[in-house]
Order: sequence, then structure tokens, then C-alpha cells
Amino acid sequence: MISENLVTIWQVWCRRKYPTYLFLALCLNLVFASTVFAATGDAFSRSQVYALGVLGIGTVCLSIYLFVVMFQPERF
Amino acid sequence: MKINLSNIKPVPRNNRYARRDTPTAALEGLYQRAIRDAFRKLDPRIAVGNPVMFLVWVGTIVTFLVTLDPNLFGTVQADPNQQRLLNGAITIILFLTVIFANFAEAVAEGRGKAQADSLRSSRSDTIAYKLLPDGAISQVNSTELRKGDRVIVKIGELIPADGEVVIGVASVDESAITGESAPVLKQPGTDIASSVTGGTKVVSDELTILITADPGQGFIDRMIALVEGAKRSKTPNEIALTVFLAVLTQVFLIVVATLSPLANYVNTPVTIAILVSLLVALIPTTIGGLLSAIGIAGMNRVAQFNVIATSGRAVEACGDVNTLILDKTGTITLGNRLADEFIPVNGHSVEEMAAVALAGSLFDETPEGKSIVQLAEKLGAKIDFSRTQATGVEFSARTRMSGTDLPNSIEIRKGAIDAIRGFVRSRGGTIPSKFDDAYEQVSKLGGTPLGVCKDGDLYGVIYLKDIVKPGLKERFDQLRRMGVKTIMLTGDNRITASVIAQEAGVDDFIAEATPEDKIDVIKREQSQGKLVAMTGDGTNDAPALAQANVGVAMNSGTQAAKEAANMVDLDSDPTKLIDLVAIGKQLLITRGALTTFSIANDIAKYFAIIPTIFAAAGIGTLNVMGLKSPQSAILAALIYNALIIPALIPLALNGVKFRPLTADQLLQRNILIYGLGGVIAPFIAIKIIDVLLPIA
Repeated sequence: MISENLVTIWQVWCRRKYPTYLFLALCLNLVFASTVFAATGDAFSRSQVYALGVLGIGTVCLSIYLFVVMFQPERF
Repeated sequence: MKINLSNIKPVPRNNRYARRDTPTAALEGLYQRAIRDAFRKLDPRIAVGNPVMFLVWVGTIVTFLVTLDPNLFGTVQADPNQQRLLNGAITIILFLTVIFANFAEAVAEGRGKAQADSLRSSRSDTIAYKLLPDGAISQVNSTELRKGDRVIVKIGELIPADGEVVIGVASVDESAITGESAPVLKQPGTDIASSVTGGTKVVSDELTILITADPGQGFIDRMIALVEGAKRSKTPNEIALTVFLAVLTQVFLIVVATLSPLANYVNTPVTIAILVSLLVALIPTTIGGLLSAIGIAGMNRVAQFNVIATSGRAVEACGDVNTLILDKTGTITLGNRLADEFIPVNGHSVEEMAAVALAGSLFDETPEGKSIVQLAEKLGAKIDFSRTQATGVEFSARTRMSGTDLPNSIEIRKGAIDAIRGFVRSRGGTIPSKFDDAYEQVSKLGGTPLGVCKDGDLYGVIYLKDIVKPGLKERFDQLRRMGVKTIMLTGDNRITASVIAQEAGVDDFIAEATPEDKIDVIKREQSQGKLVAMTGDGTNDAPALAQANVGVAMNSGTQAAKEAANMVDLDSDPTKLIDLVAIGKQLLITRGALTTFSIANDIAKYFAIIPTIFAAAGIGTLNVMGLKSPQSAILAALIYNALIIPALIPLALNGVKFRPLTADQLLQRNILIYGLGGVIAPFIAIKIIDVLLPIA
């Protein structure tokens, strides 16, 4: 029963790639935001650091997306 | 209705070509539908297809978040309410920028959809009478028909699918697809007249048709898919421009993303909303927003011309064409050559020759043959035998003669001079020198000489008058100025061809050409790195149509020709190739002009935003426009950025006014109008918006 549920979750996980990417980005942000928080001291609150982390990751993703456009323009 | 051939007009508005223009009824709902589609295109899965506008869309979301919480990405120095107001205004302007760009694309697509609806109305599911192998007839829906099936279509019925006539002769009304009200005769065996299109109507007799297309794969289905843009793929030029825009966007993204530490270093911290604004102002949003609309509008312009292009690539290729290969008859000269004079030889009188010419043309159903009969009858000629006892001899490319076999074994022939010479010699006759004089005399006049003989007795030369279409010389001059070479192909002799070529003003000609020569000419031109366009209608034209960079098949042509070509002319007018070149060039010029304008705009936007933001760093003197404040400067630049997109939609859809100039002249003109104008216009517009904005 549990294994069936795990299989179902894994299948949904594999099928829905965007929520997966979002989840992975947030996980990455845990590391990223903590580093920024440690480096900036009191300049930013915890929530601001997490928001900045998401913005930074988002910017990198946009940059990667633009590279994909440059190298595979026929897909767009 | 007369066609004005003296001007190249890419989008004719008041002539017969404009017949398939977007239906008024469909246009009524066009803008409502476009507004709905503009919002639908906000779906990230669709938005991601346009990199520049996708960045603006992401920027809009970011500024929306900082409108909700101005301190989201860091504590701001200014009053949070004022900051919220500014961020809110930026969000709204960015959102409108995205919507305007989506709207431009949706309007262009909407026009195509309206044309598709118009085509769709001619396609409906009908009941077909399928002929079974055992000879029985089964009643089926047209959607159940498959390639290879045979159907019987009677008077008043719609032809259920594309096919070839195998039995029967009937008139078919093709007005549903061509707009031409006169019915067309369809019969088996003939190369051109045997091809029928689904959705057209049999108006006399009945036909047995061999189906050549599966459901959804027919001519009209493919046309609908194309004008709707369902199969639209980016053209090479569009791909190149997309890469260029992506590179520019990437550069500005990196610049703006790394600007914050530098700003902090010079003690001028900038907010995220301002950085987003700067990014949007710097990336080429104008061309990014209008790029696909320009491409779709190009396809639509071709469709309005009653020409269906199989891809945007074909339309663009028209603009790059270096060589046009044109058939003489029907394209350069009026299709029907008429007999103008009989020039007798061998001591025969004009009356005697007229009588022989009449007898030789009795069974000739071509316009030339009929005109010979008319001229002969005008001269009082009569036949002295029973028509039923004579036999007609059809013209063939091999013999290059036609004529009549009389009951008493006498053979009358008329045809190409060389062919008649050979025929007379084979019957023991001689060729008088006067015959060559007559032939040269006709050739020098630009006419087509036809020899006439009765067995071995040569009677003379018929002068078939060729009339060059009016205004064609001027159009060829315009094409020459644009760097397009014109080559005329004709089956006529060298002298006639050279006279017509000179009269029409073509650059080169190939006389005594066979259909196979077309492909040789195309290959020769292509080997020199040139792009070639040509028209054709017969099955023997199909290889050349496929080989040419732009192959335009006539709708009256065979299925093979239509499938080999990348454009199909519904009016079957080969002269339209010249207009297609103009449309292609207009598409390329429009895209080039708007790209130049968009990039030139960046200079003014840069000077509007950077000096005001970093005034504290000592670059305030660069604020050449004297803008009031950073907030006002940013809003003014963004408002201009948003408004310029809808302002340029008409230009993107209708195209830049086309002028037949050389590439260098066009470049100079573009740089002057759209380059210099693109620099000056935003300076003025941003200053005016800055003055009008009610913020200090």
C-alpha cells in the first residue's frame, strides 16, 4: 500500500516538472539565502534574504533561458 | 476590371486581387478577439515563446510584488507609500507593454483566422457517391474517403475531396476557392484540366474522380492550416533576429543584475523596481513585441493577394530573390496570340493560303487556331470538303505541328517553321527563299511565325501577333533597380524572342526552350549563389518548381505542380510573381526598419534613465533632456516604451511603404528615417511625457 502510494507520488513528480523545478529552486534557496544572511549581517531581515535569494535564482534561470534561446532559437 | 500594371503595389486595394481580402463580418469581432487573445497569451507556456516580452512579463510580476511590499527585497529609504505608488505605476505600465505586444500578435493572427474562416466556409462535409470495385455505388460521408477511392459527382453536387478526373467531361465552378465565377472545363487525360479541388461544384454533366488526398490533407485544409498559422515555423531571418534579440537581452540582463553593487559603491542605491524598469527600457521591446506580428502580417498580405504560401520562409525568400524566370506567353505577353496576317509564298495568293490555313485549323481549339479560322473566314475562305470526313491532327511537343488530314489522303499542316520545313521536304517539296524572308519578317516584328503547307506544297507564313502586357517594361525596370534579374523563357525562335525581350525589357531570354530547360536555368543561377523564383502549372514543371527557391504554382495547374511549389496562386496569374517579390521585400524592409527603430530608441531611453538615477554620482550633466526627477524620468521612458508598440502596430501589419530601390539606397533610407528618427523621436516624446506627468 505504502509502496503503491510512493510509486504514484514518484510518477506525479516525474510528470509535473514545473512544480519540481520550483521545489528544487526553493531547496537551493535554503543554502543561498543562508549564505547571504550570514554575509550581510543585520542589513536584511530573514524574509528579505529569502526573497533576494529567489530573485537571484530567478535571474540566473532567466539567463539560462536566454542562452537556450540563443542556441536553440527554432524552439521559440 | 483593369489591372494597373504600371505600379508595383504590394497590397492592392481596389482590384480583383483584393477579392479574398479579410471578410468584413469576421473583422468586426477581430479586435474583441484580439483583446481576449492578448490576455490568453499571458500564460507563461505561451509567453515563453517570445524571450524579450517574457522578460518584461517576469519584470511585471517582480514590480507587482514590490508594490505589495516595497521592502520585500530590502528596506527602502523613501516613504513606503510613495514607493508603493511608483512601483504600482511601473507595474501597470509594464503590464500594458506586455498586453500591447500580445495584442499586436493577436490582431495579426486574427486576420489570418478570418481568412481561414472564409476558406472554411467553402469546405463542408458532403455526401459522396463512392464507386466500389464491383461497380456498385455506396453513399458515404466525404470524411470517410481515402486516397485511391473513386467517386461519381453529378451536376449540382460538390466535389467531396481533391482528385483527378478519370472519366467524364464537365464544367466545374471553382469560385469558392478562386473567386472566379466562370466555370472551368474538367476532363481526364489533360495535364491541367484533370485536377479538381474539394469544395468546388460540378455545374454540368458528371465526373468520375480518383481521390488524391486523405481527409484533412486536401488543398483547402492545408491552406486553412497555413493562414491560421497552425504550422507557422520561424523563418531563417526571424531565427537570426531572435538570436540577436536574445543576445542583447542577455547582455542587458547581466548589466542590470550587476548594477546594484556598483550603485551602492557610488552611494546611490537603486530599488529593484528601478532596476527592472531600466532593464525593460534597455532591452529591444519594440521589435520584440512586433516581430511575430510582422511575420504573420506578411503571410496575410500574400493571402490577400489570393496567393497561398506554404510557409513564411517562402514569403521571405521572395524578398531575397535575385532572378525571376518568366514564361513569355501569359506572363510577359497576353496569353492569346492572334493571327494578324497571311504571308503567301511559292506563287500562291493570300486567298489560296487562307483556304489552306482554314482547312488546317478546323479542329484546332486553341485561341491561336480559332483566330486563324476567323482571319481566314474574314478573307472569304471556305472549305471544299465535309468536316465529318476529315480528321484533326493535334499539336504535340514532338512534332510541333497540328493540322488536318483530308478524306483524299491530303495532309495539311501548320506549325513551327523548322517542323514545316522538314514536313515539306519529307513530302518531296522544296523551300523557296521567300519563305525564309517571310519568317524573318514576322520574327523581327516580335510575332510568332507559323508555316502552312499542303503535303509538299508550301503555302506561306501566318503572322501570330504577340502583345506585350502594358506597363511591364516599367515593372522590369523597377525590378532591375532592386537588383532582380529577369529571364524570359519561350519556345519561339531566337529572333522573335529577342524582339519580345527587348520590347518587354527583360534582362535575358532563352529561345526555343523546352520545359526541361527551366530546371537547367534555375540550377545555373543557383550555382552562382542566386535565389530564383519561377511559375509553373504542368506536371513537367514540378521538378523546376521544387528546385526554385520560390516556386509559384497556378491553381489551374496539376496536383503535382501544386505540391512541388511553395506558393499557389488562386487566380492562376503568372504575372503575380512580380508582386510577390515586392511583398517579400516589403516584409524584409519592415522588419529591418522596426529593428533599427527599436534599437535606436534605446539611446534616448538610456539618456533618460541613467543620468537621473545616478545624478548623485556626478553624471547629472548627461540629463540632456532636463527631466524633472528619477521617478518622472523612469515613468516617462516606460510610458513611451509601452505606447510605441500600439503606435507601430499599423506599420507592422501593413508594412513599410515599398519603394523599388537598390539595397544600398534602402539601407541609407532606413538609417535616415528609422535610425535617426528612432533616436530623435523618443527624446521629444519622453520630454513631453515628463512635462505632462504630475509628479515632481
